[in-house]
Amino acid sequence: MNAPGRASAVYWTLAALVISSSPHLAAMPPWLVAVFLTLVAWRWLAARQSWAPPPTALRVFISLALIVLVLVASGGHWSRRAATTLLCMMMAAKLMEMFRPRDLRLVAALCFFMMTAQFLFNERLVYLFYLAAGAWTATMALLSIQRLDSMALPRPGLGRREQLAAQGRQAASMILLALPVAALLFVLFPRLAQPLWGLPQQSMDGRTGLTDELTAGSIANLFLDDRPAFRVEFPDGQPPPPETRYWRGPVLTELDGSTWKRSRLADTSSPLPEAQGGNEFLHRVQLEPHERRWLFALDHPRAGPDDSRLTTTRELLARNPITALTQYDARSINAPFGPRDLPSSARAYYLSLPDERNPRTRRFASDLRQQFPDDDAGLIAHVLEWFREEPFRYSLATAPLGRHNADEFLFDLRDGYCEYYASAFAILMRAADIPSRVVLGYMGGDWQEAAQYLLVRQSDAHAWTEVWLDGSGWVRVDPTAAVSPERIDYGAWGAIGEPRHVLDREWLRDLRNRLDRAQHTWNRWILGFDAERQQRMLERLGLPQGTHTTLAILMVIALGLVTVVLAVLLWRRDRQRPRSAAEKAWRQLLGRLRRRGMIKHPAETPGEFARRVLPQLRAQGRDFVELAEWYSQVHYGPRQIGRERQFIEAAGNFRPG
Amino acid sequence: MTEASAPRFAEGHFEALQAARGEVNRVIVDKPEVVDFAFTALLAGGHLLVEDLPGVGKTTLAHAMSIALGGAWQRLQFTNDMLPADIVGVSVFHRDEARFEFRPGPIFANVILADEINRATPRTQSALLEAMAEGQVTVDGHTHTLPQPFFVIATQNPLDMVGTYPLPDSQLDRFLLRTRIGYPSPAEERRLLTEPDRRNFLAEMKPSLNPAIVVALVEQAARLHVSEPVLDYIQALIAATRSHSAIRVGLSPRAGLALIGTARAHAFLNRLDFCSPESVKTVFPALAAHRLQVQPESGLDSREIIDEILGSTAIP
Repeated sequence: MNAPGRASAVYWTLAALVISSSPHLAAMPPWLVAVFLTLVAWRWLAARQSWAPPPTALRVFISLALIVLVLVASGGHWSRRAATTLLCMMMAAKLMEMFRPRDLRLVAALCFFMMTAQFLFNERLVYLFYLAAGAWTATMALLSIQRLDSMALPRPGLGRREQLAAQGRQAASMILLALPVAALLFVLFPRLAQPLWGLPQQSMDGRTGLTDELTAGSIANLFLDDRPAFRVEFPDGQPPPPETRYWRGPVLTELDGSTWKRSRLADTSSPLPEAQGGNEFLHRVQLEPHERRWLFALDHPRAGPDDSRLTTTRELLARNPITALTQYDARSINAPFGPRDLPSSARAYYLSLPDERNPRTRRFASDLRQQFPDDDAGLIAHVLEWFREEPFRYSLATAPLGRHNADEFLFDLRDGYCEYYASAFAILMRAADIPSRVVLGYMGGDWQEAAQYLLVRQSDAHAWTEVWLDGSGWVRVDPTAAVSPERIDYGAWGAIGEPRHVLDREWLRDLRNRLDRAQHTWNRWILGFDAERQQRMLERLGLPQGTHTTLAILMVIALGLVTVVLAVLLWRRDRQRPRSAAEKAWRQLLGRLRRRGMIKHPAETPGEFARRVLPQLRAQGRDFVELAEWYSQVHYGPRQIGRERQFIEAAGNFRPG
Repeated sequence: MTEASAPRFAEGHFEALQAARGEVNRVIVDKPEVVDFAFTALLAGGHLLVEDLPGVGKTTLAHAMSIALGGAWQRLQFTNDMLPADIVGVSVFHRDEARFEFRPGPIFANVILADEINRATPRTQSALLEAMAEGQVTVDGHTHTLPQPFFVIATQNPLDMVGTYPLPDSQLDRFLLRTRIGYPSPAEERRLLTEPDRRNFLAEMKPSLNPAIVVALVEQAARLHVSEPVLDYIQALIAATRSHSAIRVGLSPRAGLALIGTARAHAFLNRLDFCSPESVKTVFPALAAHRLQVQPESGLDSREIIDEILGSTAIP
């Protein structure tokens, strides 16, 4: 076995390992990544310098030490992440004994498994590129290892670079050949309604999202987050106008000190208030995982998917936390809602304020109450007008607020974003004896005309208020809209009117939208292909009783067919594909001779054949001998392009008489 | 021959090669393929084993080759009482100077004619075979390099069984090619009988080559272009020997390398600037026959099997 070949097999295997474990590494603590990369670097050096494998005792010790490190890194908490971390580190340990082709092959093959493990965590479109790169590298590694075993003769005619290119093409074509089979397995493999491995405890690795609490500043970090929160399609037609795109999330009803909280009572089912008139919107939401139970829907939702329910505060809740991309249909009504009368206990609940806080706000509220003794709507209109006229400003600056948060904001600071306005406004309303609460969610969205869906990003997070008006029910009031109508029309960042960061450029935003459309398609057709869709597809194929058995039989038949077709294609290619244009021309010429009864035996050289048919060709015999000699030079000799072209012409002109 | 296929190297050397080939062909009448094998083995840096009955011209061939090459040549007539020292040389003690001096044996020549190699004992045979493989000899711990080129033509009489030690299979592949000479055609035999003794020509022969030219030619031949289809063909031939039911042990990777080298030398000798499948086909029997171990119960000999393989292996 030649040393350079072996070293390059090791390099490819290491490259495959690093690529396939990269997403796992990204989720590991840096010191563990350093340990992993040290072992990889050591193995690389060992291949370069032809070092011997380390002694068994050392290998065992390091392997045990790695297990301990993984346990330390996971904090003794056994999770899916800890399992993949252990897998990565054991692969690194395997490098210490990766000195025979057998071990190399094992590591290269396990790289495919490592890539599969990544999809336990995330199935976004970008990982398709990761998968392609990893699969190609691992296949290159397997091919290099294969070359160690085979008694391949050295090829003086091919340079190193050319050989590598040929191997690269081979690896790519092997992967492409596997694609039809993969597609079949994807479509036909029996799907379970639930993922096999249950739900992960935490799959998001500390990603931001909406919380169910509101303290000033708590969603500010979301404004910098361009990741999609969800995407919405409107099967019935156009999206609602931008000013009504309020996506309802958690409703905060209790004020605890200066923090708005969600009521635990909201989760307990109680009769839902009836909706009053308005237009109904059907929309289909593709929700990115956010680890919480709420399903966002256009304000306010009337009906959600089967396994969800509406709370008394009109939150749409799923049964379990959303840990994977989820698609659901929801119906919403754009009108106030609620019962005719608010029971006195509920009224008291929605009016309660912490004692001894915000004295200035309370005073202001009681002044207002005197101005508008029985006119809640008038009072609200007056306050909104007051917001507009006083020097209130919309900005994304966050300022810490103290004990009297509403006082400080309404009378001193007057500079903030939706959270500040919603919180202060709701407190002011309660002080003025109007039941109120804060609603968290998203506002707006980016309409993707080309793909007909609305993209709502984390940066579209918003907070607004709802007040109770006797006779109407709960009515949405957005104090931010009074201060900054631009926030409603152009989003939080449009309202500020300056780029958020250096990367906030028009063309980049455009590119991001394009990428999101690709992601949307991917979600819709690949990730969204669930048990239900599979069933529908079977029905369309005329197999209504599509049980798992039917699917399995169908799958086996289809796989068999694909294998046969591929085998035939490959056989034909290997048999018939000419290496060059010259060979093609020569074959055509042989075909013309064959029709005259002059058949070349496969084991005959061109010259032998030409000399054999010399008498049959009579006058043309000598020409053909020359042509065969010429073909020999072109086909077997060093490449001379001009000469090849001349030969093709001459061969094309040769017509056996 | 078209213009483009003319070899691209020092014309003088190549013309000298063709002249030497012509000279030898004048002595060994009607056997151009045997002469070609001899030159092919020389250009590929290997050695030639000629196996045939006495009196068909084995010795004449070797003698003619050695004259044509123009270097020092030696004839070793093997006998069963011959010792290794008779070939490689001995260390002699100089009493005056109180030191050993190496007296080179007859093997220190450019061309060796090893006549009736199967008459010597295995020990003596090994001394020669080792020198052939290594290009050097070791006497009393000192290594002495043999001159370049170093070309051995050995002869062996296949029917002479009494008191001989035929070379074992494992030693046979020290010889790049093995060939027979065979009887001349009736017409040529008539000329042989009527015309003056061919061996007289030997005396008139002029050396067309010299050792330096031969070394240069060997280097040039080794650089000949081998294309992908020809490599595929060579691999297919080797694979066929390994999977053939009548063959116990097929060709080794070393034999594969030897096949490429020999085919290159043959193509070079025949004025090609690339290795052609014709050359592979031509040298394959002489190269492969003595390296294959045939299943005795198959009732075939290696020549028949090789013809079958050549006839059934497609040329890409």
